[in-house]
Amino acid sequence: MKLVAVTACPTGIAHTYMAAAQLEKTAKKLGHTIKVETQGAMGIENELSQADVDAADAVIFATDIAVEQEDRFSKARKIQVPVQAALKDPEAIFAQLK
Amino acid sequence: MKELLQKHKQYLLTGVSYVIPFIACGGILIALSLTYAFHFHLLNDKGAPDPAQGPWFVQNMFTIGVAAFTLFPAVLAGFISYGMAGKPGLVPGFIGGFIAGTPQLVEGKNVSAGFLGALVIGLVAGHVVNALKKLPIAKILRPIMPIIVIPILSALIVGFLMLALNLPIAKVFLHLNHFLESMESGSQIVLALILGAMIAFDMGGPVNKTAFFFGVAMIQQGNFAIMGACAAAICTPPIGLGLATLLARKRWTEEQRESGLAALGMGLVGVTEGAIPFAASDPLRVIPTIMFGSMIASTIAMLGGVGDHAPHGGPIVLPVVDKPLIYVLAIVTGAVVTAVTINLVKQFTEKTATPAK
Repeated sequence: MKLVAVTACPTGIAHTYMAAAQLEKTAKKLGHTIKVETQGAMGIENELSQADVDAADAVIFATDIAVEQEDRFSKARKIQVPVQAALKDPEAIFAQLK
Repeated sequence: MKELLQKHKQYLLTGVSYVIPFIACGGILIALSLTYAFHFHLLNDKGAPDPAQGPWFVQNMFTIGVAAFTLFPAVLAGFISYGMAGKPGLVPGFIGGFIAGTPQLVEGKNVSAGFLGALVIGLVAGHVVNALKKLPIAKILRPIMPIIVIPILSALIVGFLMLALNLPIAKVFLHLNHFLESMESGSQIVLALILGAMIAFDMGGPVNKTAFFFGVAMIQQGNFAIMGACAAAICTPPIGLGLATLLARKRWTEEQRESGLAALGMGLVGVTEGAIPFAASDPLRVIPTIMFGSMIASTIAMLGGVGDHAPHGGPIVLPVVDKPLIYVLAIVTGAVVTAVTINLVKQFTEKTATPAK
């Protein structure tokens, strides 16, 4: 599957990036392609364009705070989980996609 | 109901995520200028350090720090409201938070509703804006809604509400302060234990931030002991775990030894998050251990009378800490206890417990 994801935690220096790395690693392992946008203390990095979102089958929000520019995802199929879920058991998130 | 609470936690944390850099910037600049004044005996008539008597650079650094700190309640409330209601939430949130941050005279003391008031009013502002958005409006009037009607109406509603709430909330703070001041040494230990446990429990998450913000709020009220206890507890988990990987190298995987070094570095600059890689892979053993270590550190700091003038923790704030020697002692003791405990726990449970991922 083609996926996009957004990760964001309150402090935006550790969890955000660790969750992004976990999602990328797990997606690769399960044979999905994924692009992960991080919304950390530095602001939006690796930004998802509207085209990225439209081309994706689903979007994963691994976020503890409100997502920036959420209107980009208004039409997409969404899965919302806490950041912790992406760190502890990323495969369970991908299982929700089936 | 659970989902509703979850959502509100998300709104609060959105505000918190925007306000953390303001606090760090303001707190450290203020603390540095106060330290300068303290060091060169530039005291006002009450005996408190007074950066206004310092050289040009120190005076202005103090002013800049105060500016960042003055913005803090407004930014907090503004972005809580923004998290809930988007762009239209900013106006009432900022205004409500600004009013919450404005000091007023209560019982002869200058207090403000500050952080607590800003939290509440930020949520209220978001709800008010979301309600206003739903008003049925004729099509020709729709363009003026977001730029005229919603900002003015929501600002009036939220502003009046905050003005009414200001006094009771300020009084709560005042009582809290009286309560802390009046605490005997016995209950001070309890307070320090609770703060230490909270700081370590989720390593930078909401529970940690609650204790942290309590310390920050107390700094604003002129009580530095709470932040002192928090500051020692903040850096103990990453330093302790980093130390553990150095003390018993063969008990840890290659990967963990690497994150151990990173954790040490993060601990030194007061970032509890450095402990997360360990806790994420082995929460049942790691979290109780680091809570134990942080509780010890915060208790030693509290009993030793450590005061922290900056809203930040770890050895990096050493220059702005009262009783720095005891502060260091608290951190070292907490870290060593954490390191030894986790290694012992691992030694006794490694074979029976499920191996860590």
